[in-house]
Amino acid sequence: MEFLFQILIILLSARLLSEVSERVGMPGILGEVLAGLLLGLVIVQETETIASVAELGAIFLLFTAGYKEVHIEDLKASSKKAIVATLFQIAAAFIAGFALGRFFGFGFVESLFLAVAFSPTSIGVVVKTLLDMGYLSSKPGSMMLTSAIFDDIIGIFLLSVVVTMGKYSEFPSILQFLMLAGKLVFFIAVMVILGYKVFPYLFGYVQKMHAKESIFAAVVLVALFSAYFADILGLDAVIGAFIGGVLLSNIPIAKIEDVQSKVSGLAYGILVPIFFAHIGMSVDVGALSTLGSFTILVVVLALLSKFVGGFVGAKAIGFDSHESFIFGSGVMPRAGVELVVISIGREMGIIGDEIFSAVVLMVAVSLFVSPIVLKFAIQKDKEHKNSASG
Amino acid sequence: MFSEREPDKGRLSKEEVYSDLDEKCSRIFVKDIMKTRPVTIKGDDSVERVLEVFNENQFHTYPVVEKNGNFLGIIDQNIILQLLLTHRAPRLDHTHLMAVKSLSESARGIMIPHPVTIPPEMDLCEVAEIMIKHKVERFCVVDNDKLAGIICKPDVIKAIYSLRG
Repeated sequence: MEFLFQILIILLSARLLSEVSERVGMPGILGEVLAGLLLGLVIVQETETIASVAELGAIFLLFTAGYKEVHIEDLKASSKKAIVATLFQIAAAFIAGFALGRFFGFGFVESLFLAVAFSPTSIGVVVKTLLDMGYLSSKPGSMMLTSAIFDDIIGIFLLSVVVTMGKYSEFPSILQFLMLAGKLVFFIAVMVILGYKVFPYLFGYVQKMHAKESIFAAVVLVALFSAYFADILGLDAVIGAFIGGVLLSNIPIAKIEDVQSKVSGLAYGILVPIFFAHIGMSVDVGALSTLGSFTILVVVLALLSKFVGGFVGAKAIGFDSHESFIFGSGVMPRAGVELVVISIGREMGIIGDEIFSAVVLMVAVSLFVSPIVLKFAIQKDKEHKNSASG
Repeated sequence: MFSEREPDKGRLSKEEVYSDLDEKCSRIFVKDIMKTRPVTIKGDDSVERVLEVFNENQFHTYPVVEKNGNFLGIIDQNIILQLLLTHRAPRLDHTHLMAVKSLSESARGIMIPHPVTIPPEMDLCEVAEIMIKHKVERFCVVDNDKLAGIICKPDVIKAIYSLRG
């Protein structure tokens, strides 16, 4: 009964605070993390069962990202310019994260985790701002969108490298590095063969099955299988889930509306909120309350490095200063993937409470700050254009 | 007092009606009842043109085809409503995919690519079963990559009803 009560209270408060968060114009994830933080302080103790449900949440968060959002064709069509701007902002954030970790005396792999947690962008946070300001179709707006597609892929790649390195707890030797690359290539090769040769036939049969909800069950099974397969190869479950999702996105029957809405309901209605709340519960408020220079620097550097990287990257591909300012502020927000990265690091025992709590705070601050900075950047651009034309 | 009525000797029992229907169903094919030459949208049509098509006609879904008739995807009313009301969409839908769609200038950019299609030779029972089981309202019928027609639930119901006699 204890478990039932815990799940009930976690889900209820996560959903309620998520709604409050949305109502005040902030992303729901903020409310969900906050719900966990408050519950952790007051009543609910973190248990192994809740941690397992949260892990499923992380798996389904990335699975749905691949399943619903990534289209291989989109990647092919994306411009080379976007790759340049994306690489700049990711590299700047990665280097800043790594340097910060090393500066504060953290180990090599621990610093790498911090670097990877600095790297991705959650574009969804600023889409609303871009829409409201009528800038979605602007040059920097559309570049942000293209950039976000690469961002996810590069983020997942970095995560898979760093997770495997985490197993050695140090910089791997050439042989270990080759093993890592081999495993990743083997995993992707097997998944591509399954995705193009096996899954289409499998779903052909599943479609004819008499059992209820057979397609939905098959989609969930593919998510779990890809996660488990990646896990036994020493990669991480979430990486497998993401790739499994991308491959399913090419199978029409697996993507019928009915099934999509069920997968989305399972993920965003139940599992993902529990994952975000669990992140909140895992935050060590004691570590945050001291607000040491490390925590402050994590927040400031994570935001600044993305901003500067984005600004320089946009400049490099010929944007003017105002447009680059907009692009830089648009790539600042962090959300889901970053939290997945640190929860994996924590679970593997690589990163401690200090980094974990600091990154959660950084994500929360980025959710607040990015839309405000972006709005300011767009207003400046509008003023500039008005004064130039009038 | 109610007396039990003797079964009507000339009438088929329910089971017999169903098995008879099953047999008749399997002899009717999608190509016999589908709507051929549906209103289509060309992949390169502008979004403005797509909106016009939706305004001029009352259908829920339109197939998107290449100039040579090859089937590309579908555009349905949900996509159009989402496009028209992007601002009001819940934040969860503010994903880059949605944003990319709202920026697209052609039908190709906003359509659902490669949805589930069925071949013209599929029989009536089979298509009815898929519709019920997977809650699908309509299918594009594709033959050798070319759009052959479209079949909706009312077409299937009508066909089954007329078979019942």
